[in-house]
Amino acid sequence: MTGGAPLRSVPPMTTDSRVVRLDGVRKEYGDTVALDGVSLEIHAGEAVAVMGPSGCGKSTLLNMIAGLDRPTAGEITVHGQRLDTMKEKGLALFRRHHLGMIFQFFNLLDDLPALDNVALAAQLTGTSAGVARKRALELLGELGIADRRNVYPAALSGGERQRVAVARALMNRPALLLADEPTGALDSKAGEQVMDLLLDLNQIGQTLLIVTHDERLAHRCASRLIELADGRIARESALDRVS
Amino acid sequence: MTAVWRTARAAVRRRKVQTVVIFLVVLMCTTTVVVSIALLDAASAPFERAFAQQRGAHTIAAYDPAKVTDAQLTAAHDGVAEAAGPFRQVVLEPEGPPKPGVSGPMTVVGRDGPGGAVDQLHLWRGRWPSADGEIVLNETPQSDAFDLSIIDETRSVTAGGRTFTVVGWAHSVSGSADAWVTPEQMAALQPTGTQMLYRFSGDVSSRAAVDHRVAEVTTGLPGGALIAAQPYFVIKERAAAQPGTYLPFLGTFGVLGLLVAVIIVGNVVSGAVISGFRHIGVLKSIGFTPRQVVAVYLTMVSVPAVLAAVLGTVLGTLAAEPMLADTFRGLGFGDVGVSAWVQIVTPLGVLGLVLAAALVPARRARKLSAAEAISAGSAPRRGRGLRVQQKLSGTRLPRAVSLGLGLPFARPGRTALTMASLLLGVITVTFAAGLSDSIIRVTEVGERSGRDVGVRAERPDFAPPSQRSDTEVEQLLRGIPGAARVAVAVNREVTLLGDNEPILINFSRAQVAEMGYEEQLLEGRWMAAADEVVAPSQLLNERGLKVGDRLTVEIGGARSTYTIVGETVRGFPGPEGLFAPWRAFDDAEPFDFFYQVQLTEGTDPEAYVAAIRAADPGLLAWNNTGANEFAVVVTSFSTVLAVLLATVAALGVLNTVALNVQERRRDLGMLKSIGMTPRQVVTMTVTSMAALGVVGGLVGVPLGMAAHRWVVPLAAEASKIRLPDYVLQVWDPATLALTAISGVLIAVAGSLLPARRAARLTIARVLHNE
Repeated sequence: MTGGAPLRSVPPMTTDSRVVRLDGVRKEYGDTVALDGVSLEIHAGEAVAVMGPSGCGKSTLLNMIAGLDRPTAGEITVHGQRLDTMKEKGLALFRRHHLGMIFQFFNLLDDLPALDNVALAAQLTGTSAGVARKRALELLGELGIADRRNVYPAALSGGERQRVAVARALMNRPALLLADEPTGALDSKAGEQVMDLLLDLNQIGQTLLIVTHDERLAHRCASRLIELADGRIARESALDRVS
Repeated sequence: MTAVWRTARAAVRRRKVQTVVIFLVVLMCTTTVVVSIALLDAASAPFERAFAQQRGAHTIAAYDPAKVTDAQLTAAHDGVAEAAGPFRQVVLEPEGPPKPGVSGPMTVVGRDGPGGAVDQLHLWRGRWPSADGEIVLNETPQSDAFDLSIIDETRSVTAGGRTFTVVGWAHSVSGSADAWVTPEQMAALQPTGTQMLYRFSGDVSSRAAVDHRVAEVTTGLPGGALIAAQPYFVIKERAAAQPGTYLPFLGTFGVLGLLVAVIIVGNVVSGAVISGFRHIGVLKSIGFTPRQVVAVYLTMVSVPAVLAAVLGTVLGTLAAEPMLADTFRGLGFGDVGVSAWVQIVTPLGVLGLVLAAALVPARRARKLSAAEAISAGSAPRRGRGLRVQQKLSGTRLPRAVSLGLGLPFARPGRTALTMASLLLGVITVTFAAGLSDSIIRVTEVGERSGRDVGVRAERPDFAPPSQRSDTEVEQLLRGIPGAARVAVAVNREVTLLGDNEPILINFSRAQVAEMGYEEQLLEGRWMAAADEVVAPSQLLNERGLKVGDRLTVEIGGARSTYTIVGETVRGFPGPEGLFAPWRAFDDAEPFDFFYQVQLTEGTDPEAYVAAIRAADPGLLAWNNTGANEFAVVVTSFSTVLAVLLATVAALGVLNTVALNVQERRRDLGMLKSIGMTPRQVVTMTVTSMAALGVVGGLVGVPLGMAAHRWVVPLAAEASKIRLPDYVLQVWDPATLALTAISGVLIAVAGSLLPARRAARLTIARVLHNE
């Protein structure tokens, strides 16, 4: 743990242990093929890292799994639900309840302090402000930044911002946590802290999918590595986590 | 092709929405400003404009031909810039009943044509006399809406023992005569005076100055040669009352239009440049000089702005021309169009405004380093409305709504400009709504009493008149199905002692009071005794009279004294006259009697008129219902301008939301990534502007009401009428609620399109393009 109280375990998922299942997913942008027949499965409690050179389709793969973009062909099932056939509103509700996302550049709302940024995710589901803030404060405490709850993003360090982003992603107890280059914008010390955090989360059962260029992050946090090249899975391998 | 032009062209193509918004806003603003300035220009000095166009006479001088020769008059030109004449003139007394275009003693002048160096007549119908027995009458040109068959009733005029055929209608802005005949015809009419029309070269700005000019020109002429000299101020003061009615309305709309245009253009253009700060930083980083960066942005906003300004000028001219022509032609000021200077100055002014609005932020960006410019476009903002957002996030409101309510605080400057345009939009809508309601009420006052059917006996020179007595005609009218009330009046123009102008009295009987005239009493009471009269307020104001005054008049050589006991809004249809109790006149002809019939609900006035004609062909009946020209003009003006200004305000909102969405696309992407639905995105975005609309409504409605309260009485004062209080009390809860939500409606209409666009943002692209 990186500080604060231990994180509580994630809620039980569907009886099917596969949290993510991609079957022949293809994505084209005009003449460019970003993903070319990708099939993969991620099981509950796994931590999977996706790596590959720029333009290999890593972010496209993440977008497909997050329901942020639609495949040209193929099936995407996350937490037992087909995302490729879902309408926009259904996707939004799915993301709200079952997915958490953290980004390279944190994507926090500059106008809200840390506590309200975290609470926002629950408030969108209709949770009252009081209840949402209470849970947000608990999460910030578990991530060791409760004392920074009233600070605006502009005044937080990079590591603190990413922890706020992680807290927000965990707010609705997601089945799957997606991380897109989570350490890419951080210095080495802050990067280490975020790595520890992700590792802790996975160790208490949180399923993780991490897209990264950072081999250290992959080897530290992931139990499986998927390498992409030209939109295809070039290699899959199990990893021994390095502490 | 220079790098600046290439870059600006690429920016125009890439930022299609922004380019379209700038184009539309500049287009609508230019159109509005052209209409507004054209209205202000036309209404500010219509008499002066017509006077200059028609080479109006500074003085109309009448000389005694027995004392001065034509040669002497022509030779006298000290201080005279231009002169017309000498023309022979005579005053003739018309015979028979009054007709349209003919009333009272007529000054008839012999002229060989309508043109000349001074007092160029506007021959607007028919032709100039070319033979003996032909005459042209002086009358203001009628608007297109006017039923010309009314003046066509005057086919001939009998005066001075001769009958003239009316061959045309002309208008003299100088008021130089009531009618014109050929010089040859005039010789046969035994002229009593010689008319000279002067335009002076010196100062003519005051009566004293004009008197001085007249003294100069008559110096050297035989004593007593000058019978009378009428300076142009007499006509000018009389003319001022008519456009004066319109001026407060047009002025208010004109000023509102200008303000909205300035605010919106400033907001849109400066917003476009500010949103391009990041782009500016990139340009600098690749070697563009600060001057080139400014040039790129000025070119970028100028391309759509120039096209829109040109097109807007054309549209504004097309919109204003018919309104102006219809209004001012009817007032006798000729065909007033959009001045050339308006068509030149407006687009240049709007373009100047566009460039100024772009230059201020562009110069700011010019001073920033490349890194600063880039970060100004994307770096997190500090301290703007943060406390508000924090408070809102703790409320019970749906989160999409509370987030939307906080958005305006993130860009206070832009919000203030958007708020200002919304406010002006609400003020305009409120003012226009109140104005239309007041005008409708004013019209109703007249219509309630003045409708539905007017009846007179035919004039003997047109058709055989009815052989029925006035009592029999009244009985006939009451007997025709559909008649609810009938009033009978006989009018007489009588001499008012102490006043050189005669006064019209309608001696009336039957159901005059019940027709609504008593109901519309502004002061006093209805007449109850034979020596009491009731007067319309316009007549009282024009004559300087008031309730309680006693009037001594001469009727048929005998003097009678009346007391004014009441003031009404309107009198009988036609020239305003006093209401007096019925009085029988031995010399009254059948056509001296006027009958007014009010019909039962649902009766067709045309059918009733037809029934009268069928029952007695010697009766002339006409339908008095129909659109009131003044009401139509004012409500049309106000509706067109309110819609135009509300649309411009909505465009301003659209621009603000488009800029906000552009700047906050990363936030929007993030919100969508954590589960905000498209509908919630639309709700949040529309709420951000609807909140401003609510404030605009709450603040704008009282201001619009104040403008209405201030402007309508001004117009009434200019028309010399007094308005009943209820004409101003148009604000019922339903009207107020509608005007109050107009701000929200404008805001929602303007924000919906970019809000839907925000809802469709591709999250993946937004979030990963940082």
